[in-house]
Amino acid sequence: MSEEIMNTPLDPEEVNTEINEAESEAAETAEETAEATVQEAAEEAEETAQDAADASKEAFEAESEAIAEETAAEAAAANKKPEKKHRLSYERRKGLYGYGFIAIWALGTIYFFILPFIESLIYSFNKTEVNQGGMKMEWIGLKNYRNAFRKDQDYSKALVEMLQSTVLRTPLILIFAIFIAVILNQKFKGRTFARAVFFLPVIIATGPVIDIINGNMDQGGFSGGAEQFSTMFEANLVDQLLNFLGVYNISDTLTETLNTLITDIFDLVWNSGIQILLILSALQGIPVSSKEAAQIEGATAWEFFWKVTIPYISPMILASVVYTIVDSFVDPQNSVMSIVLNKASNWEHGYSAAMAWAYFAIVAVFLAIVVAFINKFVYYEVE
Amino acid sequence: MATKKEEKQFEKERKAAQKARYKRMKEVGLDKYLTPEQIAYNRRRKWIGAVWPFFRFVILFGLCFVILYPLIFMLSTAFRPNEQMNDPSVVWLPKSFTMQNIYDVWDVMSFDKTVVNTVILNIVASILQVITCSITGYGFARFKFKGKSILFAIVVLQIIVPPQITTIPLYLQYAYFKPEFLAKLLTNGETSLINSGWTMYLPALFANGLRAGLFIFIFRQFFRGLPKELEDAAYLDGCSPLYTFVKIMCPNAKSSFLTVFLFSIVWYWNDYYVSSSFFTKNDTVALMLKNLNTNLAQTLFDGQQVSVRQIIVWLEAGCLLSITPILIMYIFLQRYFIEGIERSGLAN
Repeated sequence: MSEEIMNTPLDPEEVNTEINEAESEAAETAEETAEATVQEAAEEAEETAQDAADASKEAFEAESEAIAEETAAEAAAANKKPEKKHRLSYERRKGLYGYGFIAIWALGTIYFFILPFIESLIYSFNKTEVNQGGMKMEWIGLKNYRNAFRKDQDYSKALVEMLQSTVLRTPLILIFAIFIAVILNQKFKGRTFARAVFFLPVIIATGPVIDIINGNMDQGGFSGGAEQFSTMFEANLVDQLLNFLGVYNISDTLTETLNTLITDIFDLVWNSGIQILLILSALQGIPVSSKEAAQIEGATAWEFFWKVTIPYISPMILASVVYTIVDSFVDPQNSVMSIVLNKASNWEHGYSAAMAWAYFAIVAVFLAIVVAFINKFVYYEVE
Repeated sequence: MATKKEEKQFEKERKAAQKARYKRMKEVGLDKYLTPEQIAYNRRRKWIGAVWPFFRFVILFGLCFVILYPLIFMLSTAFRPNEQMNDPSVVWLPKSFTMQNIYDVWDVMSFDKTVVNTVILNIVASILQVITCSITGYGFARFKFKGKSILFAIVVLQIIVPPQITTIPLYLQYAYFKPEFLAKLLTNGETSLINSGWTMYLPALFANGLRAGLFIFIFRQFFRGLPKELEDAAYLDGCSPLYTFVKIMCPNAKSSFLTVFLFSIVWYWNDYYVSSSFFTKNDTVALMLKNLNTNLAQTLFDGQQVSVRQIIVWLEAGCLLSITPILIMYIFLQRYFIEGIERSGLAN
């Protein structure tokens, strides 16, 4: 517990000065012990250090849990001090409150994010074995990484495929999302319904429901993978649509081309809900005056789109790009992730961690390049 | 500010006036008022205005069909007797309806128990998550302190790091939870948190739940968009920052709270990765659905090997059952899902 407290972003110096002002008991012990640790013998230092830890714990708890009370104490202290000093410390005190506000998150992040994150990095350099007492590790350096790239053929292949498909899919999803968002931003009857429908995939597609919809059911382990039933792709969607509308027997080539198109579109539509939403929200931020001005100047809808709309929504386009890439990257169904998870469920934790880390590093670099590139074209309105 | 109704009225009047003016101009002769370019422009606009709605309808109808197709299929399949799956004369409407599939799946998933379990997990975790994420988001939005940019970079990192990387170490952390007395306190004397709801509640309590990074980000953007004067007034009156946050900022952020809460519920509802790693007995709807085909084969076919095609009616019925609660919520609160995120100002 005390370790976590030491790790919190509270700057000890600032705490001390802060508490000095308050002249609380805790501060005194903290100060004393601080001096003591420097000057006095080791035994005493240990004792006092513990005291200090307790004191800082108290101070910290007071900070995060009962900020209101603290303020009262501080206000009292501030009243005692000369006016000048109070003004000087105002910004800093506000800053301390900032630490107070994020303290809960910081604690949680250390325990639930940073520690496991680093732990998995350590795994990746080790040969791991799970037994009763936890994880048994043996340091093998970079061997896991070397194995992943040199020996494992699936891994590098999946990695390349993954990157390729991301590069291809992201612009497609983006263009589609912008197109749909622009349409959904126009006024027409049934707009609310259409918006509700387009947002539906966000609610459904994140769960295992999409697996069943996609017919991707061989994870249960009983079907040999030979016979997969897809409710979606087994059926000829174009025929279904046409039959649904009461049209039968149009030429085969037409339906075939349409069919491949529609299969892609299914993928597209079911993966671009959030992006449509983001861009729609950006579109609504475009001031009406700009549209009026463009009309007076005689701009066509096409010109308006390229010269007004796109710059306005460009920050959101960037956000959508990042979201799309991250989303396809963390999807447990993509090929690399499934290899990684497979290895983990085979108890090869070290190897799987190495794969995951290599993957993560590559995607992070990829993301950084994309963001840096797009950021050049993004137009930020000066506020 | 005019109300919405009034605005509509104004719009109508403006359009009528425009039309009348155009008519008068036409009587005199358009070319007296407008240049040839303007006439061409108007004509083009009129033409596009006539054709575009038709195209728009076709596009939207087609795409809505693509989205709704699985749902229509689900509805059509879930209520149809299994024999009629292979009947070529049945396309959409089965010849007879049956509730048997639903009853079967209900039993297999022990749906009543599962749903209660899931709802409790979801709501508690989401409420905790919304509270802590909003506090953190506010801290990032309104205060200046050392290391803020680095800390915020960690938030962004939390968004992009897949949970799969940290799951195994986290599992060990939960299984051998330190300090031990706390684990014992939380689970009635066991040292492992695995299989207890705390594996969901604890991260949520510390703003580290499912997609917490994204929620912190949304809250930060939202609070940054609120006018600073609100708080300054409160500070002048001697409010502490926490009091200001609770009394001044939270009421203003209602819609944003609701949006994040709804998203949180949806994601917790659909999550099976995290819950499957930390639960082995504590079942949620998503987990049940994930294992549905195995369970179905065991209970309905005595553990025989069955192809998906044979059990598709039950699978679809299970799908339907498990999305129904969330779908009902969506239908009623659809406005908040869509408007909330627009207003919460994810922009910039």
